[in-house]
Amino acid sequence: MTTGLADLERELERFPSSVVDEFRRAAEKLGPRLSEFDVNSWAKQGVDIAKQTVRSWEAAAEYFRSSPEVLELLNATQLLEWGRHGSALCQESPSLAVSFFRASPRAFQSLRPRNMQIWANLGKGFYRGTWKSSALSAKFFEISGPVLETASFAELESFAGLMDLVAHKSADLAAECMAMGETVLPRVGNDRPAFIRLCRAVAEANWREVKGCFEAVPKVTAFVQEGQRARFMDMTADMAKSGMPNISLFIHDSATSLGRASAAAQGRFLELAQELIPRSNEAAAAFLRNAPSLIGRVSESQVEAWYDYGLRILMDNLDGGMAYFRIESNTSEQVIEALSSAVELDRIADILRMYCRGLAGAEVDIANSKDMAGKNIGWVSEDHATTEGTTVYLPPEMNKFGSKDENFSFFKVVSTHQVAHIEFGSFDFDFDAKGNRFQDTRHTREQEALQEKQARLEARRQQQGQSQAPGQLLNRPDVQEGEILLTPGLAALEAAQEGQVPQTDGAASAERGYLTDMGRFFDMFPIRKLALDLFTVLEDTRLDYRVKAEYPGVAPAYRRIQADALSQRPDIKEMALQEAMVEFLVRFSLNQHKNLPVPTEFIDQAAVIAEVAKRLLHTDAVVEDTAEAALRVYDIIAKMPNQEMEEEDWSEMDVSEQEIPEEQLENLLEQMREMAGAGQGQMGEEEEGEEYESPPQVDFRGDFKPELSQILNTLRQQAGQGGQQSGQQQMPLEMLEQMLANSAELELDAESGEFNADLAAFVQNLVKEAGSQPGTQQPGQGYGPIPHQEEEGSSLESKDPKTFVYDEWDFRAGDYKPRWCIVREKPMAEGDTRFYTETVHAYGRLMNQIRRQFEMLMPEEYRKVKHLPDGDDFDLDAVIESIIDKWAGLSPTEKVHWRRNKIERDVAVAFLLDMSASTAEAIDESRRVEDWDAPDDPVEYMIWLRSRRGEGARRTYKRIIDLEKESIVLLIHALETVGDTYGIYGFSGYGRENVEFYVIKDMEETFNERIKRRVDKVTPLHATRMGPAIRHTIAKLEEQEKRTKLLILLSDGRPQDRGYSREGVEKEYAVHDTKMAFVEARRKGITPFALTVDKAGHDYLKTMCQDMGYEVLGDINSLPSRLPMLYRKLTF
Amino acid sequence: MTTPAKGTRSVYREFLIEEYTVEEEPFYVPVGDEIGLFEAAYEQKIPVLLKGPTGCGKTRFVEHMAWRLGRPVSHITGAGGNGEMRGKSIPLITVACHEDLTASDLVGRYLLEGEETKWIDGPLTRAVKVGAICYLDEVVEARKDTTVLIHPLTDHRRLLPIEKRGQVLYADDGFLLCMSYNPGYQSALKDLKQSTRQRFVALEFDYPDRDVEARVIEHESGVNAPIALSLAKLGEKVRNLKDYGLQEGASTRLLIYAGKLIKQGISPRRACQCSVVWGVTDDGEVQRSMEEIISSIFE
Repeated sequence: MTTGLADLERELERFPSSVVDEFRRAAEKLGPRLSEFDVNSWAKQGVDIAKQTVRSWEAAAEYFRSSPEVLELLNATQLLEWGRHGSALCQESPSLAVSFFRASPRAFQSLRPRNMQIWANLGKGFYRGTWKSSALSAKFFEISGPVLETASFAELESFAGLMDLVAHKSADLAAECMAMGETVLPRVGNDRPAFIRLCRAVAEANWREVKGCFEAVPKVTAFVQEGQRARFMDMTADMAKSGMPNISLFIHDSATSLGRASAAAQGRFLELAQELIPRSNEAAAAFLRNAPSLIGRVSESQVEAWYDYGLRILMDNLDGGMAYFRIESNTSEQVIEALSSAVELDRIADILRMYCRGLAGAEVDIANSKDMAGKNIGWVSEDHATTEGTTVYLPPEMNKFGSKDENFSFFKVVSTHQVAHIEFGSFDFDFDAKGNRFQDTRHTREQEALQEKQARLEARRQQQGQSQAPGQLLNRPDVQEGEILLTPGLAALEAAQEGQVPQTDGAASAERGYLTDMGRFFDMFPIRKLALDLFTVLEDTRLDYRVKAEYPGVAPAYRRIQADALSQRPDIKEMALQEAMVEFLVRFSLNQHKNLPVPTEFIDQAAVIAEVAKRLLHTDAVVEDTAEAALRVYDIIAKMPNQEMEEEDWSEMDVSEQEIPEEQLENLLEQMREMAGAGQGQMGEEEEGEEYESPPQVDFRGDFKPELSQILNTLRQQAGQGGQQSGQQQMPLEMLEQMLANSAELELDAESGEFNADLAAFVQNLVKEAGSQPGTQQPGQGYGPIPHQEEEGSSLESKDPKTFVYDEWDFRAGDYKPRWCIVREKPMAEGDTRFYTETVHAYGRLMNQIRRQFEMLMPEEYRKVKHLPDGDDFDLDAVIESIIDKWAGLSPTEKVHWRRNKIERDVAVAFLLDMSASTAEAIDESRRVEDWDAPDDPVEYMIWLRSRRGEGARRTYKRIIDLEKESIVLLIHALETVGDTYGIYGFSGYGRENVEFYVIKDMEETFNERIKRRVDKVTPLHATRMGPAIRHTIAKLEEQEKRTKLLILLSDGRPQDRGYSREGVEKEYAVHDTKMAFVEARRKGITPFALTVDKAGHDYLKTMCQDMGYEVLGDINSLPSRLPMLYRKLTF
Repeated sequence: MTTPAKGTRSVYREFLIEEYTVEEEPFYVPVGDEIGLFEAAYEQKIPVLLKGPTGCGKTRFVEHMAWRLGRPVSHITGAGGNGEMRGKSIPLITVACHEDLTASDLVGRYLLEGEETKWIDGPLTRAVKVGAICYLDEVVEARKDTTVLIHPLTDHRRLLPIEKRGQVLYADDGFLLCMSYNPGYQSALKDLKQSTRQRFVALEFDYPDRDVEARVIEHESGVNAPIALSLAKLGEKVRNLKDYGLQEGASTRLLIYAGKLIKQGISPRRACQCSVVWGVTDDGEVQRSMEEIISSIFE
């Protein structure tokens, strides 16, 4: 170590020891690699730094520590230059230098030494003498290294420029962004320049949003295709420049949304959006946000068509265009709907429901198949159609085919098929009923099956050397599966053993322990699944034939869909034999009668099977025939080994059109049975080969579960009979469980524990389902309950009962915002009748007067109308006059008849009370004095106190709403005299999701005490969103079949509500929506009338009511007397 | 009978109402024992109330009965009848009831003629005189005070007071009062009073079942049997929609109209649309549903 160095070292000893330590460590490493001169210069530099200011020793320590690493990347000259830059920074602030030195080793991995100075200056640029700014510049140095690993220095520079810009506004924000930049910049990849441009644009427009930008950008990289990101960001930058707010939200939303589109589509959408920017940023944003989600409903080219239409609107009407692209206008929805080939169940459910009801002649409902799966009562498939006898479940959407018509006809075919189950009696299977096409062999087969089981049980018992009675065997816990042991079966067995002849009456099945006839039937088969599949496919064969015969009109579509289903069948040759034979039948049922692939070895059997199936192709075939056919086919197939066949073992066969005579068929079947019996010797009872698995089901036929359906119907009947039946008739749950455990229709996992739990839950559900009769949907009420999905600013759905969705009129867009408001209807709470009675007393005189006037209306109806050319009879006076005229040589009048004016009152009226907060205002300011004087007398005081507590602060002044209430009371009185149908409703609410609609008296309700009590509870609440309330009242009035319908709105001012205008402040929006609601009323034959107590009401009422009637009450106090009079005037 | 003025060409056929008789056997397929019941009621002079939805064949049934009852010669003793009428149908006087139907409209009124008044008998009076079947179609439509008028005619008295002339008119033996009534309009306003309806024996009518209806359609419209059956099937399906959007099912009459259009060469789907769908409802959704049913049934 040279003296120079030693001196320097000594100088360093003045500083904290870490400095010297670092120096020594570094010197050791540098010594061998630098010339002595350079080492000295280096050390000197360090000492200089240390000596600069009080805390600069920290920088020096960092300098020494980093030097060895830095030297790995720089040469000696550069090292010294580096030191100089550091030193310069240290003069600004030691902490700057510290971070500079500390960040250097990493930075120089990618930083060219020639950029060193610029880099240092960039860092220095952030420093403005404050602690925050020094932290910022420290952060900059820190991230430079990582950033430069992917980015170029120029990019780092522009990033720094951006940060500088932000830092001018807020150092904190800049620091946060900087920190995010470290991760975000590498992620953005090659689109960094675009990203920085975007951020710059945002920063210039609204610096607060920059951070959001940083946060949102990962979405871009995650969702937007690589090639499109730069374009996307540049476009966003353009939007930012033109002043669009909420950029980060836009980036977030539109990027997520774009993610749903393909790369090519993304590009196209961006181009389209770009075109929109000059016209409206908002429209462009909305377009990007929504367009990709349309894919799926419509094709990409159709999205463009939708765009074009919107562009035209936009050029015409900016607001309309924006609403269009936000899909907040009906036009927009309609255009999409028209373009789309997809058919949504919701839209056609009503049509299909009626269609199905028409065909079936029974109460049939249409529901989403998701609902069925959700019930957990055995139907599991969400996408397949099914029915359980009262409801047809259909998939929520169909877009399989290219056009709307085809997709609709798919729905139609599916529902026709499902209804056919109901119409042609699939669920009416009666074990004891006769078929039309086959002889009954069920009963003999049942006996055989029972004997077989008995024999097997016997064998088992002997095997185990036990001599238990069969009854005890019943309770054995170790009864193994696969033995086809089930309690009901055994019960029947017992009965058989005791020599009881099976009863044949209808209830026999239930008595013998079978829940359903279907269950009894399937119980005969060892391989229940096979039996079920055969029954299903044969029943479908029967129904498809029957439908095509009964409904020739639907046949072409039916055949098309059958052909489509056929083309999607799996390769039969890869199936095991039994499955292949079922598949053979499936194909046969789908009209493939030629070139059916069949295993060569079993071609005879296949021919017989086809022969059996063919017998179902008759209009008089019934479900019992299906059962018989299933029985016969089962006998053949169950004897086959369930193995896969070799490719060369297959040949093709045609099924002839000709049907062979029944006798011949029975003979053939007998032969088959014998053949199988002979073959049994070789193969044995327990076939080798796999367990039978069902081939995939045919799409349009859906899930067919005859047994479950029958169970459900039985349960429903029981539920319907209720308590009338004695307990024993009711199905015990355990028994139900057992039945179901055995059913092949359930696909529960057989892991025993779970299985039982599932089953129990399932049985519960089933019983519940049966108890709660088929869900009744109220027709025609709003849009009905649909699964809820709420998004900011989008359409709303009503999901609770008694909630209704209504459109709202956007006057600037000139179109409705679809499903914009939710009206929640609730009954008014009940209070005291005192208000009512007090009012009656207070207005006693007026009330009598009104009543008299109303009573006088009655005879008016039957007034004679005279001087008519034709009528009930001659008007004697007129006749005499006429004759006198004639004799006098004048031309006599022909109008000599009279008639009774037979106009009967046929009026329905709805009163709509404004219950907004403003109705709490006192009508007379001067009288607004609270009665705070407590009585002196203690007894009186207690009464006073109680009444105060009971009713809340009791007012001595009258509020507007009190007058509204009083007039309602008077009116009720009057209306009861005339006998008009009337309803009284109040409304208020907060926001479009919460339009509260209180029923004080519904149209159908008769007047009673409760209504008196409800009037009491009418109190001022929140805001006044009139439109939806009016629309809901219209809906109520529409149900009334009256000649004259009136809607009278009682309010205290203009409509207003949170967001009841586009920007929340425009009063016009609310006024226009209300006006439109009135117009709707007019269109529906309802006469609207607005009565307001707002003295300033004339201005907006003129707009709101244009040609409708309205009245502004000058003197509020006259309201109670005015309203009944007005009503009289309006209805006569 | 036809009384064209001499020397003019008869371009229309005109009858006095009490002389109108059904000349040819009206086609009617009995569904149950309604013919026997009506004959028995006629024999016993019990007024008959025909209940049933519109277009199911009530009027046709009355026509048929008028013709059928007229065949035996002995039945005709009508005052207004002459020799010619023997062996023919009983006169059938049909009054379509409407809201403004007054007592005068039924009984008769004075008319001015020159300087005098002249009494003109109303249709009911005429029927009472000649012993015709007086058929009040859609009687609920008539005003209540009008329906009360027929009370004395419908019980043992069988007389018609003619207030304005201060007369009482006994009914001819051949006279029978017959009303039709569609209980479908279940409005409190349009219901028959108990005191009125309990004066009648009621025959309930409904749309016939598919096969009978097919026969009727085939006969009336002249279409071939398969089309008639399809139309009957359509009728059945559409009637299933009653109360689910339809107030009334499609009547046999409409189905016959459809058949007639088909006979004229209109395509079945279109014919059904015009006659059945649009005839029955104005509701777009229901129309669509029905059209789907039609397009399922007809190719």
